[in-house]
Amino acid sequence: MAVAVSAPVGSARVPVRHFVRLKLRVMGNNFRGQGWRIALFVVGVLVGLWFATGGFFALAAPGLAGEPRYALLTAAFGGGLLVLGWLLLPLVFFGVDETLDPARFALLPLTRRTLVTGLYAAALISVPVLTTLVAVAGLVVTAGALGGWSAALVAVVGLVAGLLLCVAAARALTSAFATMLRSRRVRDLAAVLLAVVAALLGPLQIVVLAAVRQADWERLTGVARVVGWTPFGAPWTAGIDVAEGRVWAAPVKLLITALTIGALLLWWSRSLESAMVGAASAGPVRDRRGPTGGAVDQLFPRAVGRARRDRFGALVARECRYWWRDARRRANLITVAVVGVFVPVMVNLGGSRLATDGGQAFGEASTDSSPVLVSLSMLFVGVLASLTLANQFGFDGSGYAANVVAGVPGRLELRARMTAFSLYVVPILGVVAVVLATLLGHPGWLGVMAGALLAAYGSGLAVTGFVSVLGGYALPETSNPFAMNTGAGVAKSFLTLLSMIASAVAATPMVVAAALLGDLWLWLALPVGLAYGLGAALLGSYLAGDVLDRRQPELLAAVTPRR
Amino acid sequence: MTEEHPALALRGLAKRFGTKVAVAGVDLDVPAGSFYGLLGPNGAGKTTTLSMAVGLLRPDAGQARVLGYDVWADPVRAKGLLGVLPDGVRLFDRLSGAELLAYHGLLRGMDPAVVDQRAAELLDVLALTDAGRTLVVDYSAGMKKKIGLACALLHGPRLLVLDEPFEAVDPVSAALIRDILQRYVGGGGTVVFSSHVMEVVERLCSHVAILAEGTIKRVGTLDQVRGDRSLEDVFVEVVGGRTATGQELSWLSR
Repeated sequence: MAVAVSAPVGSARVPVRHFVRLKLRVMGNNFRGQGWRIALFVVGVLVGLWFATGGFFALAAPGLAGEPRYALLTAAFGGGLLVLGWLLLPLVFFGVDETLDPARFALLPLTRRTLVTGLYAAALISVPVLTTLVAVAGLVVTAGALGGWSAALVAVVGLVAGLLLCVAAARALTSAFATMLRSRRVRDLAAVLLAVVAALLGPLQIVVLAAVRQADWERLTGVARVVGWTPFGAPWTAGIDVAEGRVWAAPVKLLITALTIGALLLWWSRSLESAMVGAASAGPVRDRRGPTGGAVDQLFPRAVGRARRDRFGALVARECRYWWRDARRRANLITVAVVGVFVPVMVNLGGSRLATDGGQAFGEASTDSSPVLVSLSMLFVGVLASLTLANQFGFDGSGYAANVVAGVPGRLELRARMTAFSLYVVPILGVVAVVLATLLGHPGWLGVMAGALLAAYGSGLAVTGFVSVLGGYALPETSNPFAMNTGAGVAKSFLTLLSMIASAVAATPMVVAAALLGDLWLWLALPVGLAYGLGAALLGSYLAGDVLDRRQPELLAAVTPRR
Repeated sequence: MTEEHPALALRGLAKRFGTKVAVAGVDLDVPAGSFYGLLGPNGAGKTTTLSMAVGLLRPDAGQARVLGYDVWADPVRAKGLLGVLPDGVRLFDRLSGAELLAYHGLLRGMDPAVVDQRAAELLDVLALTDAGRTLVVDYSAGMKKKIGLACALLHGPRLLVLDEPFEAVDPVSAALIRDILQRYVGGGGTVVFSSHVMEVVERLCSHVAILAEGTIKRVGTLDQVRGDRSLEDVFVEVVGGRTATGQELSWLSR
């Protein structure tokens, strides 16, 4: 009976293709029996390819037009922006595809090396990688047209290396951030860091634009040459170097890229390990501070301390607590705050600063901005702020069951959620308006800005009310606030785009009024905007609440993560 | 008027997910004042059935009535009488225990003073006062079950529907929960709970239903169902479990 226990299994090395197949299988299973998901996926791929084609021709232009002096510029700056985008966009906007959650591999006897290479290979299988590949293929055309076959060949090697670099950078950075955010103590610090990183996007763009405007081509080429020697530009410019006769530069640049990839993967594998362990032992940090006051008073944060102790009050209080305590929601709030301040500054100040030689200080900028332009940018900020609620039920996940069981009326639910979010966002919007009015040197426009902001925000709330009820989707239950499911990424961008357009259209009357009414509008904008926004939000919650009443169980099923 | 109605009446409840039939027509009458155990192996459709019974999952067909009120046609009345502890569902776990109770109480339209008093009492009885302002997300699995039960009990429902209330609960807490539930039934309440732990069911229940492959296989009082055998024997026979022959998995023994 006693049969010898067979030799310990698993000593053989796990080949990378297992991870790739696993990823493909998980992606495929996500689609099974879900026609709309396939449709969304296809739409996403098509949209991605459309942009990719644009990028392709932009990067191929110097080669197609036979303009060798622009070749290095486009390669260095275009490629550099691409790397920067891969670094920052997952943090700020899109999240990182965590189809294969590292924590799931924690119990398997895999070496760190196997795991990292496997997950890395799996991460390469994605739509963004495909579209980036299509776009940077333009570099091959340029290198080939200018330097023949050998240059094209080096360019191919370069762009593959560059792509690997992009993915490694995105993974390493998000993983490191996620690890930092996991521990409660560091979370505050990390949130600030994230905000700073995101904030850098704005000024950086201004500086770059100013440089483009100011600098002559000689100086720009000099900058491009320097960028070409950093990891941001090295992989993309290798082919151009061969085409321009600096054959020796190509292997050096590829070496730079390879070293960077190695360093990034090392960094990733460090944080990956703590991510895997952290998920298992995010040990309870007991807070034994004695409660102050009764249970009900504990629920209500001080900001809403005077709210009525009823259903509406409880919903608002719980949402307020969640916007602060849930890392995922807080990351969204920070994004709103940062983007909300910088985008209008860029749109309204950027142009004028550049026009006036870029040398003037912010405060004394003489502007060519107008109430219409300002209203437009405020429209964008208001809509962007409201977009955060486009998947508001997804944040709750299966926790929403509590409200379903308690039979919370849909209208009450939506109004409470809008109110709680507005408690955070309206002050932010106020700051945006004041800051921008001061920077522009037009304090009189404060009313126009605040009015446009409120109107756009209110209309946005109405639209996202519908979107969140009809198009809610599940977010993965990981502690990584940047994680999202495959397929959901496409769904997310699609829904976001749709609600953005709808909200913007709904709020356009404010811009039209700004254009038509002239000075009178400076006084009317605030009260009208306030009434418009409030009315739109109330109407939205009224109509969407009715839909929610009929869809509660379906919505719950949609936002419950599949396991 | 509600006294003549069963506490929970299910009629032909059915649900399919894609091509897989999860629940294929369940009829069940839970008499008021009973302690009702819903038994079944994993994947039998217990959670699906209970979710449809309390309004969390829309059935493809069939009806669910709580003390005569249709859960799907008259949800406000029906849900007011219900207390639910779902399984595998997150609580609003970024609140502390006390905050969570206050939220549930106010959501049920209770008076704040009553909520305060009952919340303090429940936390005390369930030995959760020590947790202080620890967030529920940092609770252990057993503590989460207990706070979930407290949320279900807070508004004094007439019918408690509990999905796997004893899963992942240590013996001390389990004894506490049993005690509370027995007092609740003694006071005129009705409990329906799902489980696959025979001992608990045999110890507590007045009535039992065995669910397998989406249909009710046996139903009745505990004595009717088990007859003169043990509940476990009946269960294994009904569900059709296999007995080990000793040949398979031989590599497990050295």
